[in-house]
Amino acid sequence: MMNEDEVLTTLKILIIGESGVGKSSLLLRFTDDTFDPEQPATIGVDFKVKTLSVEGNTTKLAIWDTAGQERFRTLTPSYYRGAQGVILVYDVSNRKSFQKLDMWLNELETFSTKSDIVKMLVGNKIDMDKREVDRQEGLKFARKHAMLFIEASAKTKEGVQVAFEELVEKVIQTPGLWENDSRGGMSLNDRGNQSVSQGCGGYCSLL
Amino acid sequence: MAALDDISTQRRDPPDGEEDKSLQDLLNAEGKNIKSLVCQRCQCKVLRPNLGQHVQKELFLPHMKKKSEQQGAMDGETLKEFWVVDDMYTFENVGFTNTVNDIKYLICADCEVGPIGWHDLSKKKEFYIALDRVHHI
Repeated sequence: MMNEDEVLTTLKILIIGESGVGKSSLLLRFTDDTFDPEQPATIGVDFKVKTLSVEGNTTKLAIWDTAGQERFRTLTPSYYRGAQGVILVYDVSNRKSFQKLDMWLNELETFSTKSDIVKMLVGNKIDMDKREVDRQEGLKFARKHAMLFIEASAKTKEGVQVAFEELVEKVIQTPGLWENDSRGGMSLNDRGNQSVSQGCGGYCSLL
Repeated sequence: MAALDDISTQRRDPPDGEEDKSLQDLLNAEGKNIKSLVCQRCQCKVLRPNLGQHVQKELFLPHMKKKSEQQGAMDGETLKEFWVVDDMYTFENVGFTNTVNDIKYLICADCEVGPIGWHDLSKKKEFYIALDRVHHI
C-alpha cells in the first residue's frame, strides 16, 4: 500500500509528428478504453496526467500532444521546455510522414532544454493494409538517431502501452534527466500559445 | 430533470456493491474521500482515497452529453459538491481540455468523458472534481 502511494518522479512526455499519423489516438489508447466515437470531443484535449508503474516504480506522466498546432507550424519553445521524453510518430502507410522525421528531430534539437531527452520512434497504423515504410527502415532510422523504436497500432492498442513503458523505463535509467526535478515546476500556461483555445470560440461542442 | 444525461441516470442505478452512498458515507473525519473516484463510464481511476478534500462551491459545468440538437455547446448545470486537490499530479489519471475563458475542464484520461471537473488557470492550486460526475467505489 505504501509502495503504491510513493511516486518516484513526475515526467513530461511529448508526442510529436505530422498531422494525421495518429498522435492523439496514441494518447487516448494508453490503457483500456471504451471510447465512444459519437462523443463530440471538440473542446479538445490539451494534455493528460497518467500514473504508470514500471518495474515497481510509480511515475506520474504529464503527456502532451500537439493538439493540431503542428499543422500551423506554431509549436512554441515552451511546448518542448522541460520534457524528459518524446514520442516521435510516423504513419507506416504514409511515406511522407516518415520523410518529415528529420525536420521534427531538428525542431526537437533546437528547442529541447534537456540534452539527454529520451526519444522513441513509433511507426503507427500497422493495422493498415497499405504499408509504405517497412520495419527495417524505421529501425535503421531509430538506430541512426539513438532512439528507441516500436511499431504500433493505436487501433488495436498493440504496442502503445509498451511504447510508454519502455520510454519511461529509459528515462528512469537516465538519472540526470529526472533526479533533481521538483514537483510543480510546470505551469499549465506553459504551452504559451493559447490561440487554439480562443480559436475554438463559438464552435466548441460538448465533450 | 430533463437536463440530466444518460451517464448521470446510470449513476442513479449503479450495480450492486458499488453504489454511491450519501455524502456522509463518502467522507472521513477530515472531510477527505474514503473511496476511490473512478470514471462513470470506463472505471478509470481518477483519485485514490484520502487525497481529495470535500468542499461546497458553486461551479458551472457543461453537460456530459448532448441531449438535443438545440442544446448549445456550453449549456450545463451548476454543481455544488466537489473534491478539491492542490496539485494535478495528485490525480491518478485525468485529462485536461483546451482552455475556454481561462477554464480547463477535467475529463476522464482514458475514455475522455466529461467534464468531470474544473480548473481555473488563475488559481493554480485548485483542481475540482464534481461528486455527481464520478463513481465512488
